[in-house]
Amino acid sequence: MAISFDSDSFPIGKAPIAMLILFVVSSIFLVASLKKKDESLEFWIFAPTHYDEYQARLPLFNQLYPDVNVELINFGDTMHEKLLTALLSNFGAPDIVEVEITSIGRFLKGAIDEIGFLDLRPLLENEGWMDDLVPNRFTPWSYNGKIYGIPHDLHPVVLLYRDDLFKAVGVDLTEISTWDEFIIAAKKATRDTDGDGDTDRYAIVLDNKTESDYFNFLLQRGGGFFDENGNVIIDSEIAIDTLNFYSSLFNEHKIATPVYGTWHGHPSNFAAMQDDNILSILAPDWYVGILKSQVPQMAGKWKAIPMPAWEEGGRRTTTRGGTMIGITKQCKNPDLAWKLIEFTYFNREGLANRFETTMIIPPIRSALDVPVFHEPDEYLGGQRIGKLFIDLVPDIPPRYQNPYWSEASDLLNDAIFKVVTENKSPRKELTELATTVRNIISKDQTRWGTEEIK
Amino acid sequence: MPNNKTFSKNIWNQQQKIAPYLFIAPFYILFIVFMGYPLLSSLIMSFYEMRGFQSKIYVGFSNFVDLFNDPIFWKSAWNTTYFALGTLTLQLPIALLLALILNSKYVKGKNILRLAFFTPVLVAGVFVAIIFNLIYDQRAGIINNEYILLGKEIGWLNDAKYVMPAVILTGVWQWAGFNMIYFIAGLQGIRQDLYEAAAVDGANWWQAFVHVTLPSLRPVIAFVVVVSMIGSFQLFDLPFILTNGGEPADAGSTIVMYLYKNGFQFMRLGYAATIGWVLFIIIAIISIAQLKLLGIFREE
Repeated sequence: MAISFDSDSFPIGKAPIAMLILFVVSSIFLVASLKKKDESLEFWIFAPTHYDEYQARLPLFNQLYPDVNVELINFGDTMHEKLLTALLSNFGAPDIVEVEITSIGRFLKGAIDEIGFLDLRPLLENEGWMDDLVPNRFTPWSYNGKIYGIPHDLHPVVLLYRDDLFKAVGVDLTEISTWDEFIIAAKKATRDTDGDGDTDRYAIVLDNKTESDYFNFLLQRGGGFFDENGNVIIDSEIAIDTLNFYSSLFNEHKIATPVYGTWHGHPSNFAAMQDDNILSILAPDWYVGILKSQVPQMAGKWKAIPMPAWEEGGRRTTTRGGTMIGITKQCKNPDLAWKLIEFTYFNREGLANRFETTMIIPPIRSALDVPVFHEPDEYLGGQRIGKLFIDLVPDIPPRYQNPYWSEASDLLNDAIFKVVTENKSPRKELTELATTVRNIISKDQTRWGTEEIK
Repeated sequence: MPNNKTFSKNIWNQQQKIAPYLFIAPFYILFIVFMGYPLLSSLIMSFYEMRGFQSKIYVGFSNFVDLFNDPIFWKSAWNTTYFALGTLTLQLPIALLLALILNSKYVKGKNILRLAFFTPVLVAGVFVAIIFNLIYDQRAGIINNEYILLGKEIGWLNDAKYVMPAVILTGVWQWAGFNMIYFIAGLQGIRQDLYEAAAVDGANWWQAFVHVTLPSLRPVIAFVVVVSMIGSFQLFDLPFILTNGGEPADAGSTIVMYLYKNGFQFMRLGYAATIGWVLFIIIAIISIAQLKLLGIFREE
């Protein structure tokens, strides 16, 4: 005899059956939607300007590869945490991802085979791009001889300044070439404009809470936090002397003001610029792009010179910021991913378009003659700013990457703040900082052995 | 051998026994997957150190020892305690005062005012932080604008000693109105005849407040204090955005911010798990102590 089935009495009525059916149907739907087509690429981005650029050019890529479905996702600032989680859980990472220069270090921790990105050196060599890219720009994305990302940019730094206000005090900054000369000029331009006894107008704005501007100077002098072999060199004489100099710009020469707000792109920093209270700033190419979009009303007021050098004939630039593009190990079709990378990073029309919206110069030598890079820029009173950046390319210093950069930069921020605002000794702060970071590394080396940790 | 009828009856009986458990199962399954397992796994993780994406190594109590010798942890713990004390001494009295005012029969437009004071809690912490970042701005901020008239320019977010007061004041703005609602509910639950009896005994308004209002509010005060303390010790988004991750020099760092930094920026997940469990112990001790002090465990 068959088991009698009465829908009304099945455990407690019809509702549970309805719920069960809904559950089963929605589960099937969910599982079906998770299953992706093979010809699809997921690409995660953290910078909205990059997202806009790629989104606008995506139809052109689809003309070349009509069967490929590219999904661009802009997660903003939270992207790096999402990527970490996806790599940790070995599930859900994108095929392609852009990573920011101060974030990549933490992704390089652990044994080499645990790193979540593919080594792109073989692809770069096979496709012939290796010699065309500026070699120093691989340093932020390389570790232990492997290249985990293609550089997006060069980010040379210039000194952006208010020509009108410097000329008003009889200074032509195009005639200066060293920091010593700059300080003399800056003292003339720094002043109390409203006569209340406090300085309002400062010759330069610098960040005293993070490593950003100090690192500009340090890299310019050939220093750094880590050398190319991963050794801590932040207590070197160059680093100590540079921090001493950095602090003197605020405290001894009194020509520098701390950045208004949290960083150079903060609205109150822009407000201070418009009030004529900031006369110069160390600006990478992308910062010029931000200025153009955020304070268009200042068009024609800024001009640029190469950074003053430490000594006559010395290096006239540094590098600040950066992005890479990489392929994750969870990518099912690295060859297809490579096609998209070529399209977004190496295509001349794309790079011209990128410059027009963000001012960013690409790290590809054969593309540096793209005409738009060399045109006069109205925002800088007709100066050929792109050409100035390109002229500085051979001088761009390397910036060596290290898995301990997050810890190191966090402590360096504290040290800079203490030296600049609390008059602590640069030697003592940097020596202690170096010891702390060396201890962190040596503790890990004791635990895991030295082969994996350099 | 049982015949078909008894067999189906057995199944039917069995099913009726199991069914209730099946119906409450979703909650327990979700709880185990999303709470039980992570809790257990984080407890285990606190005895390991992880590095990179797969490697982990058993370190015993080493993470706990390191934590107690970590000056930045202590600084973050002090900042968090400072905020909690600020909440206790500034935010809750303000909330109670607002409740007393907005519960008074002499005040007009009470509902509008209650809504106005309550609204800040509806704004996400991140937006509050961004707005207050502009308000506290050293040069252009509204607060200092007043001070410029007085000739003062305070670096609320640039000077280490003003950072936590700035965070506390923002907390007051955001949460005082929310706690006010609890106090109003408590005040409305106090029996009027107690006030009448106090008046007959010749009590003035202050004596009535101290001897009638406060004792009657004890359970509400206990609840608000404990919940606010737990919230204070778990503080993260407000100072994280307001101080750009704890700047300057960790002056704005809290315990949870330091946990986040270790876990997600330094990739030291074991150490981060340790911070999480130490925080749990701190909160548990403080909550139990408060409940004891406020007499919640006392038999009436």
